[in-house]
Amino acid sequence: MSETDTSTTERADTGDAQTAALGSTGLTKRFGGIVAVDDVDLAVPEGELRAIIGPNGAGKTTLFNVLTHALAPTDGTVYLHGEEITDLPQEQRPHRGLARSFQSNQLFNELSVLENVRVVVQTIESGPFSFDLLGEGRSQHREQALDILDSVGLTDKRDVTAKNLSHGDQRRLGIAMALATDPSVLLLDEPTSGLGTNETGLVTDLIESVHQDLGLTLLLIEHDMDIVLSISDRVTVLDQGRVLATGTPDEVRGDSEVQEAYLGGMREEL
Amino acid sequence: MSDESATNRTGGGLVSGLPLGTLNRYKVPIGALLLVLLLRPLVSMEFLLGYGSVANTILIWMLFAASFNLLLGYTGLLSFGHAMFLGIGAYVTAIGLSRFSSSFVLSAIVALALAGVVAYLIGRITVQKGEIYFAMLTLAFGTTAHFIANYNPAGLTGGTTGIAGGAVPAWIETERGLKYVNLGGFQFDWYWLVAAAVLVGLVVLWQIVRSPFGRTLIAIRENKELARAMGINTYRYKVWAFTLSGVVAAYAGTILEINEQGATLSLLTVETSGDVILMTVLGGANYFFGPVAGAFVWLFAEDYLTDFEMLVLPLKEIPIVSLELAGVLAYWQFFLGLLFVIAVLIAPREGIWGLLRDSLETLYDRLRTGEEDV
Repeated sequence: MSETDTSTTERADTGDAQTAALGSTGLTKRFGGIVAVDDVDLAVPEGELRAIIGPNGAGKTTLFNVLTHALAPTDGTVYLHGEEITDLPQEQRPHRGLARSFQSNQLFNELSVLENVRVVVQTIESGPFSFDLLGEGRSQHREQALDILDSVGLTDKRDVTAKNLSHGDQRRLGIAMALATDPSVLLLDEPTSGLGTNETGLVTDLIESVHQDLGLTLLLIEHDMDIVLSISDRVTVLDQGRVLATGTPDEVRGDSEVQEAYLGGMREEL
Repeated sequence: MSDESATNRTGGGLVSGLPLGTLNRYKVPIGALLLVLLLRPLVSMEFLLGYGSVANTILIWMLFAASFNLLLGYTGLLSFGHAMFLGIGAYVTAIGLSRFSSSFVLSAIVALALAGVVAYLIGRITVQKGEIYFAMLTLAFGTTAHFIANYNPAGLTGGTTGIAGGAVPAWIETERGLKYVNLGGFQFDWYWLVAAAVLVGLVVLWQIVRSPFGRTLIAIRENKELARAMGINTYRYKVWAFTLSGVVAAYAGTILEINEQGATLSLLTVETSGDVILMTVLGGANYFFGPVAGAFVWLFAEDYLTDFEMLVLPLKEIPIVSLELAGVLAYWQFFLGLLFVIAVLIAPREGIWGLLRDSLETLYDRLRTGEEDV
């Protein structure tokens, strides 16, 4: 592929989208006249924790939606471990190892914590559709779900109805469900937004341990600069749907263009 | 202590030997068994109806409503054409018996197969539409089924009169208006066959909703987007939920056919589809027994309230206040409608069954804390 436009090399990823764990070339999403994601080239290598930052309305969540095919891209290509998956339906992606969590707490509210995870385990083990009408579910799926709950520290809340969990626990359950798909690449959309200091710490620890212990490739949309700078390997800055810069936290912090366009108002935070 | 008292409370003496876990796990089939055993004796009691024939109809409608709730309550699909499947069950059975002199079992199998195929095909083109369009499309298909039966193709469906003659299997005997089953020289009341058949249907539905398949339906109902993001093919699950729901409704239709000694066009009307929606919502779509309770209240009230002519308070023997109610209660549907509105306004998915459960739990808690206070 010779899609790497010379004029975009400076702001594009240095790696090749096709050899990365998750990559895209020229990824674009238009809503009528509005370009929410504009010609994004992404190459997140295996095992990297990549933060996606940018001001509100920069297109971060839309980028996630397009990468996971919650929204079909208008243009461009998406690669997962070198395989082109641009048109692969959303519900098949978790079965290929691409999972996500949501910004707002999206759960199966009326099901218990354990059932939330068990349904996901069962789906991954049995496929996108399984006409399994016997019994109450396999005990091995239950065991797996319990293991996952244990790893995120929700074991003691396994019988609580999901909607009755605290905000932070709901967020952890969301991450547990994404982990239950046994992903190789995990997209986390503002996992700490709306959480108190204590809960933020717990979720951040969870993300770090997932990254280090399981060696997952992580994409993380995050507003909290402290978290971004402390845990991410590299940072991609989005502005108005475009990639403004990609680099290590230090490089991005030092980039004058980034400072001007985005970090200006946040300099005191850095 | 609380565990033991809970066992005694829910199980009574009948099943007190079973551990609480098992009891809780099988509370739906146990409840369904008690229901079919007790319904007729209950409504036959002097102060209720004093006769039991309506219990057959109530049981069959309970199953029909429960099959509908697989869609509304468990999958989150509101169909306005569910009568179509009840009608297919009744009509195909009646056609088999009266036009082809085939056995009941064969006719019923054909009925269920046809209902399954029709439901699968309609499901494929409707379930992924938006709520309103799904409702409109199922309404249109339901009306189409009514039209076909009314059109009387090849003299099969009997047009407006439906199918009445020769549509009862030979092993059903009628004496003084009551039906008996006569199988292999062994005669028993038709009610018990209805009870057994409805019990089987309810247990099948219960197994569907507790299975991995059923859990996934609930997940889809709760959050479609999340379900898809977690790798669930929501479309295929909905299509099969629609199909299974249609097949169980047709199964209820085959029993109804014997009970009514034929198939009538009224089964296929929009009113039938509407009634099952009202029963389910009135009873509480959130619960397995919600639609069952709704069907009971709806059909029981119809007979009970229209029987009521004079309300004598406090007792018949001591008439202090007498109210002439026949005129008012002729509009029993108005009162049910009122009840429906109240149920929906208070708790849209809870219904009568949810309110009953809540008040029983509150009462239980109050009693228990009361005991502790003493």
